[in-house]
Amino acid sequence: MYVALKEIRRSLGRFVLLSLAVALLVLLLLFFQAVAGTLTSGLTGGLESSSAEVLVYDVRARRNPANSLIPPTAEAAVGAVTDVAAVSPIGLSVFTGTTDGAEIDVQLVGGDPTGPSVPADLADGRLPAAPGEALFSGSSFDDPIEIGQSVTVEGVTIEVVGTADDAAFNVLPTLYVPFEDFVAASQNRAGVPIEVAPSLLGVRVADGADPAAVAAALTESVDGIEALQRAEAVDALPGVSQITQSFNILYLLLYIVVTIVTGVFFLILTVQKQDALVLLRAVGASSGDIVGSVLIQVLIVVGAGAVIGTAVTAGLLSLTRDVFGAGLNPTTTVISVAAIVILGLLASIGAVRRVLAIDPVEATTSGGT
Amino acid sequence: MKIGIRELLRQPGRFASVGGALTLLVVLLVVLGGFLDGLELNQTGPYRAHDGRLLVFSEESEDLIQRSRVSEADQAGLAAAEGVAAVGALNLIESTASAGDGEILDIILFGYDLPTDVIPAPPSEGAVIDKALADRNGVAVGDQLLIGADAAAVSVEAVVKDLSQGSPTVWISTENWRAIVGSGNPAALPPEGIHQALVIEPASGVAAEDLAAQLNATAAVSVVTSTEAVDALPVVQQQSSTFQGIIGVTFVVTLLVVALFFALITLERVGLYAVLKALGAGTKDLMAGISAQAVLVSVIALLLGFGLSLIFANLIPDELPVRIEPPRLIQTAIGVIVTSLMGSLFSLRRVLRIDPAEAIG
Repeated sequence: MYVALKEIRRSLGRFVLLSLAVALLVLLLLFFQAVAGTLTSGLTGGLESSSAEVLVYDVRARRNPANSLIPPTAEAAVGAVTDVAAVSPIGLSVFTGTTDGAEIDVQLVGGDPTGPSVPADLADGRLPAAPGEALFSGSSFDDPIEIGQSVTVEGVTIEVVGTADDAAFNVLPTLYVPFEDFVAASQNRAGVPIEVAPSLLGVRVADGADPAAVAAALTESVDGIEALQRAEAVDALPGVSQITQSFNILYLLLYIVVTIVTGVFFLILTVQKQDALVLLRAVGASSGDIVGSVLIQVLIVVGAGAVIGTAVTAGLLSLTRDVFGAGLNPTTTVISVAAIVILGLLASIGAVRRVLAIDPVEATTSGGT
Repeated sequence: MKIGIRELLRQPGRFASVGGALTLLVVLLVVLGGFLDGLELNQTGPYRAHDGRLLVFSEESEDLIQRSRVSEADQAGLAAAEGVAAVGALNLIESTASAGDGEILDIILFGYDLPTDVIPAPPSEGAVIDKALADRNGVAVGDQLLIGADAAAVSVEAVVKDLSQGSPTVWISTENWRAIVGSGNPAALPPEGIHQALVIEPASGVAAEDLAAQLNATAAVSVVTSTEAVDALPVVQQQSSTFQGIIGVTFVVTLLVVALFFALITLERVGLYAVLKALGAGTKDLMAGISAQAVLVSVIALLLGFGLSLIFANLIPDELPVRIEPPRLIQTAIGVIVTSLMGSLFSLRRVLRIDPAEAIG
């Protein structure tokens, strides 16, 4: 340990360079994870936090809420199926609204605020109790709309009376409003009193009933619909698997680069000091001492890089919250940093093998110094 | 410089480590660039298909078609303006499409009036479809597509490449679009006489940019080129700035890796450099050799990295938006070579400190 630390102190420059390279790779990794997490939760939050245990789609919508329009007779038919405790229409559409004189895109979610159309948990305030009231949930990419603030959408003025965390749709500021407000905004936008169909139906199942079984029974017994358990509906949302797969590819590349850079650095370092290591072995140092020294250096260099990378990422994300809307997730960060450190240790296998191959007798030949 | 290159050619194994690390960084840079280009190009096909035309949005819409509403009165006013050959409507809605027993796919359904250099004139009953849809659904010209919740049947009359906007797109006449949307999703249908956007075809010999400036000075709408419309898309702005920042950081990592490895290699050869200096070689000669090695290693890494990236890109599932474009490869190549050159210069201080007297002990 003493030799390892002494060497780092004497050749600080090269170890600092490697730590900085690792720090930047950790920064990239954590940054990707933070942005991917925010994007995914902005897309899935609305369904994930819903009080509906089963969601009903138009069968032709390919499990995409944006394409789903529930047939008029479906709500009553769904409500009549065994183990369905409550049904609520859920109307989904993006509107341009104005608040405090500024235009914003908002996602309106129209439904029955007392039924399974709203988030299961509130963060603050209360659920809407009358037309003109809304529950707000923000995407972290946008400024929040505060309780008491009003938004006008297609001539319908809505006052925020409560908030919920992580319940946004489409990575947009989301307002949960009574279905009649949703209908009014849709009709005003259309310019004629059209029939406004819900996009989905939210279903709460009876106590003790299995949501999967209820979903299967609904799909089988009601024409023109497909019912999914909430988790299935979340997984089927368009864009989610694309985002996850794209970022997984980038994570994989970053983990490979960290491993190769660390491994190659310590291998070169070991080869360069081979003569000194031979001498150390000849004067009584065991292989374990020298391997331990290499591993300690890997831990220090990669660990320092990981800590610096994490700190810089946290700082950058807090400075750019309005642009990326992302923060570090402690669990993901700890897992990623641990993975980087473990990969760094694995990467030093080449250097360790070199050390183990050292024969102290070489010190007595021209190969030793 | 000659000595540096000769050393590299005679002992390539010595540089394999830095070459390997650089190759992986090149793969990372190409894949990141591929995602950036893929995301951008896959979101903007319909706008780029209107190159040479002008797009018209309502003034407060920030040039976003979903927010925009323009009236037929605006359309008539623009049609009468000098330098305008034709004005047509452009509307869109998210929908679905399927063919026969094929899978139902998410699409963007466009209603349009005017042909462009890429999109043929709107068929009276049929549809022009994006090749991405044809590839995924196995649809060809003459086949029938079922559109939207009502499964409205349209026949495919043409297939056009590179028309995606997140999802594949289907293009039908404005009249047909209003009929299909009005029947399947009336809440999303703009009122009669209102369109989401307009397309202007400039008269022959009139530059689109000049016409946009002239119309913006008088009309109460926002007239932009297709490039300006692409730049206005928040998704493009955010993706572009995020990925460019990430690519920039990856170049800094490349710089550090090259600097680190050449610092180590220089350290190993201090004695040799002292001998060379004692024989009359200058610091400039030694640095030229190190830099030549860095450039050569980076060129080899680029070739290997590009090859690996192409193989890797072919293994990535089709639905992921990765597009490897030649301009991005050129940009990456220049960036890596310049970065490697800069990285190799980190050894300058060490080389400067070498005293020729060290050669004689």
